[in-house]
Amino acid sequence: MTGDQSAGTEDGSERRDVVVPLRVYKAVTVFSTLFAVVSVVAGFILVDVATQRASAPASEIDVPVGIAGIACILAGTVVYAFSTRFRTEEMGKSKDDAT
Amino acid sequence: MSLERKDEHDHKGWMESRELTPVESVYLTVLIWLDRRLRVVDYLEILEDLYYKVNMQMPKSHTEQYNLDNKFWYWYPLYALGSFSTVAYVVAAISGALLGFYYAPAAAAADGSPTVAYDSVMLIMGQLNLGYFLRSVHRWAAQIMVAAVFLHMLRVYFTGAYKEPRELNWLIGIVLISLTLVFGYTGYLLPWSQLSFWAGQIGVEMSLSIPLIGEWVAQLMFGGFTLSQATLQRMYILHVFFLPFITTAIIAVHIGIVWMQGIAEPH
Repeated sequence: MTGDQSAGTEDGSERRDVVVPLRVYKAVTVFSTLFAVVSVVAGFILVDVATQRASAPASEIDVPVGIAGIACILAGTVVYAFSTRFRTEEMGKSKDDAT
Repeated sequence: MSLERKDEHDHKGWMESRELTPVESVYLTVLIWLDRRLRVVDYLEILEDLYYKVNMQMPKSHTEQYNLDNKFWYWYPLYALGSFSTVAYVVAAISGALLGFYYAPAAAAADGSPTVAYDSVMLIMGQLNLGYFLRSVHRWAAQIMVAAVFLHMLRVYFTGAYKEPRELNWLIGIVLISLTLVFGYTGYLLPWSQLSFWAGQIGVEMSLSIPLIGEWVAQLMFGGFTLSQATLQRMYILHVFFLPFITTAIIAVHIGIVWMQGIAEPH
């Protein structure tokens, strides 16, 4: 099992690679994409609501809702980026890693 | 170790054998929990399986048989233009039927104040909930249909799809593109705005310019040599009654023939 994971978990500079079974990889891909899409879209909707479709004057912007929207977008991004570390057996590395 | 096949869904075993960070194990546990309950992956796998099974059943096309894919693949998106026109037609029909609840084809009050027809369009645009959206959908569907039908014709011409045994469908297609244009013209006159009115005037004069039968055509299509209530009413009935029935029927025949003869391979 030692060969399944690449080194570099300690310093954090290298990309971490976690090999999981195919079925789990599919679940990761499907659900993380789903979650990312939903939360990014929801985030933009919240930002729109907070700023009245970017038409509100600065004094009337609903700050908590706006921040919640941006947080939603960021959460979606983070989940999506986080899911890219999972690979399945026999799967090549991503283009960034290939040299 | 048992001989029983290892259940892929039993994640406990392999998850403990990996060195996962706490975040990763929570992340995977949550996703596996969701996966076990919502089974989205299963349904996607069924779709994938179906896709390949259907593809295996298809006979080899002309392009595959003679290895023309390398010369011809860039045409393939243009084979969607016929379907695209049909979709635009259906969208225009639905949005048009809804607009029909609010539009009135009356040229009354032509004494300088806006006409009933123009007022009803203004009502749709300004007062009616989602009216602006509805009329925009109808207009864009019409524009897109004209463009898609024209490009569809170019595709059919340049791939030689009009050739034997499909000459009849080419001729029907010429009738259909003409009907599409008449649809567009009659619809353009319905708001009875300045643009509509002078487009109508041009139509009358074009009719009158036809040798021998010009006056008869102008009377028949426009109800006179000057624009009046009769013109608007004719355009309206053409747009919402005659053309829909005729065009829908001919589109059905057009698609039916394609269905029977199959899509033409490139010549």
